[in-house]
Amino acid sequence: MAAALSTKVSTLMRYSSPQNVTRMLSQAAPAPIDLQHSNPFAKKVVEAIPMAKYGGRHTVTMLPGGGIGPEMMNYVREVFRYAGVPVDFEVVQIDQKSESDEDLEYAITSIRRNGVGIKGNIETGSARPGVLSRNVGLRNELDLFVNVLHAKSHPGLKTRHRDIDVFIVRQNTEGEYAMLEHESVPGVVESMKVITEENSERVARYAFEFARRNGRKKVTTVHKANIMKLSDGLFLEVSRQLAKEYPEIQHGDMIIDNTCMQLVSNPHQFDVINTTNLYGSIVSNVICGLIGGAGLFSGRNYGDHYAVFEPGTRNTGTAIAGKNIANPIAMLQASVDMLQHLGHNVHAKMIDDAINKTINEDRIHTPDLGGQSTSIDVVQNIIKYLQQSAKKTNW
Amino acid sequence: MCCKDFFKIIDIVKPIFIFFLFQVAQNLPATCAAPCNRLIHSSPPSSIQAEVSKPEGRTTCTLIPGDGVGPELVHSVQEVFKAAGVPVDFEPFFFSEVNPTLSATLEQVTNSITKNGICLKGVLASPDYSNIGELQTLNMKLRRTLDLYANVVHVKSLPGVKSRHQNIDTIIIREMTEGEYSALEHESVKGVVECLKIVTRNKSQRIAKFAFDYATKNGRKKVTAVHKANIMKLGDGLFLKSCQDIAKLYPKIEFESMIVDNCTMQMVSSPHQFDVMVLPNLYGNILDNLACGLVGGAGVVGGASYSPECVVFEPGARHTFAQAVGKNVANPTAMLLCAAKMLNHVNLRFYGDMLRGAIDKVLKGGKVRTKDLGGQATTKEFTYAIINNLR
Repeated sequence: MAAALSTKVSTLMRYSSPQNVTRMLSQAAPAPIDLQHSNPFAKKVVEAIPMAKYGGRHTVTMLPGGGIGPEMMNYVREVFRYAGVPVDFEVVQIDQKSESDEDLEYAITSIRRNGVGIKGNIETGSARPGVLSRNVGLRNELDLFVNVLHAKSHPGLKTRHRDIDVFIVRQNTEGEYAMLEHESVPGVVESMKVITEENSERVARYAFEFARRNGRKKVTTVHKANIMKLSDGLFLEVSRQLAKEYPEIQHGDMIIDNTCMQLVSNPHQFDVINTTNLYGSIVSNVICGLIGGAGLFSGRNYGDHYAVFEPGTRNTGTAIAGKNIANPIAMLQASVDMLQHLGHNVHAKMIDDAINKTINEDRIHTPDLGGQSTSIDVVQNIIKYLQQSAKKTNW
Repeated sequence: MCCKDFFKIIDIVKPIFIFFLFQVAQNLPATCAAPCNRLIHSSPPSSIQAEVSKPEGRTTCTLIPGDGVGPELVHSVQEVFKAAGVPVDFEPFFFSEVNPTLSATLEQVTNSITKNGICLKGVLASPDYSNIGELQTLNMKLRRTLDLYANVVHVKSLPGVKSRHQNIDTIIIREMTEGEYSALEHESVKGVVECLKIVTRNKSQRIAKFAFDYATKNGRKKVTAVHKANIMKLGDGLFLKSCQDIAKLYPKIEFESMIVDNCTMQMVSSPHQFDVMVLPNLYGNILDNLACGLVGGAGVVGGASYSPECVVFEPGARHTFAQAVGKNVANPTAMLLCAAKMLNHVNLRFYGDMLRGAIDKVLKGGKVRTKDLGGQATTKEFTYAIINNLR
């Protein structure tokens, strides 16, 4: 009892006397807090560099990432070859085990130069607090403030719900992913959630603008403002203000826990969902799970100048890597999104049609969709359709 | 004592160490076979998009035969395409400045190129005078309208072509929309003519980025910016500064700069030091011709001009060779190389490589050569030789 008390007092003492604190910081070679402050979280101002587009051909940075990433990227290239897509890839490998950020920095520079990237999920091998999460680092450095996921049911799949068609617009650079965590007192860890008016407005504006341009009727802002009255409150308030500028679009808000319940019980009430970072991650995983799983949907990350395309739910799939059973659709769908972004609509449509026919007409499904086919079966079937349409197309 | 021990240990360790080294040496070729076999100065890395791609759709390409021997050379390309069964349809336009009455309008030509995205073009003659006081040549107008800002000339020694230097492999990238070619000239006082050279940051950065992107895409290691910033401190200074700025974005590519007069000397004395070169308009024109001369003349070097949206493939050195019209002696190699490049650009690698292979084979064989390479063969004979060597 007395011993416990004395340790408690000494802990308190340590924090009350300033010399001790400085000594502690210098002892504990790179303390997480130091690293965080050397790498402060702030909106990165990025300037535009013209896209790498010459003679109608684009160069795109390809980050295969870990797990099933490299296999999937090969399928993308194979499919592009048969579709005659005028896109070249600059492949940048990121060493997952490395503790330095050199590869990551090069990848970011490469995306800056090319303007567009396609990526698998990159594992952050090191668990050391100072090492930036590769995925988050990439998004923050390029200021990719919004993530868009289109969850659309495939009619050829047996799923819990049918005819779902929801867009999830998610803040991508701040909120809970601010990566500002510290242990103020031993045993007490604080993680900061940062919400800024500027970023909230950018995301909300994207959601509303997106709804308007795509003929969507309703935007639902998902939040937890009843508990986090200031931070989520700000996000909600900004959305409400913006909603006034878009009178033709209905705006509603919903608390995250309720949203999850509604999503699984009655998902058809949603049209466009506008939400903060962590909630967006949860909501998109829930909805993807409802209509076919991680292997089907693609996500798009947009900033003011750059765009990065990736599979929608960010799983590495390390467990099924190299087994030829991973579903290639998510990555192919990401490549279709990329082609649409680049303006190669003919090729995008060609590949998209081939994917749809494969899933819904031929019903060639990988095990994650309850099928028996391998990844290569799926890709070959897609290529078969591409060869048919390539005969008719003049590119 | 201590020393002795140490040597003892070394003695024990040595065989293990040597064995290890042997292992490493054995493993090396297997692990890095692909990157090691390919030299720095070689053609683009064979990507996954090689050979097998043989799509069945057809592609349309705008065709401008040009002046001088242009029509003969283009005919040769068409013959080869026909024989190889290349799925490309041509959309020909007679386009000429020296023959304005027969020429198609600029609008027709640009519309066609914009629509097709690719064009094969011979050389257009640019007379030194103009009857109507027009300062821009037709070539310049075409470039301006289509914004063809980057001219790429791949100067590469051909097999079996004797020249002063062997194994040259340099890419010369030239800005083509500003600089000395502004067509802004006036006589301010009688007897004093001013010609304006325009350099802008945007366009300089754009061409620099093009050069670095080209180097990245083709696995090149070095970019050399050529300038005359010691004399034109502001104009060429801006060009150089822009190149330096862009170079920072490419940490894996070496960047160096060179003054244009020194560069021409280096080019003729030791051309192997150059990998990718980026130049403003006039210097680019001079260097292009100089380098073409080094590897066999105007008849053997292909090039291309890029805008963001389209590409015009044209010979690297601009000579109409008007004195040989109708004589059946011109060398179609340059035009055929352009055509091969064009095929690669539109994902027809299968045919592109086939054509390229046939050209190399004929030149290497050395039996069929046109006059400019010291042979006696006619254009037709050379064309047939190519056709016979198509795989």
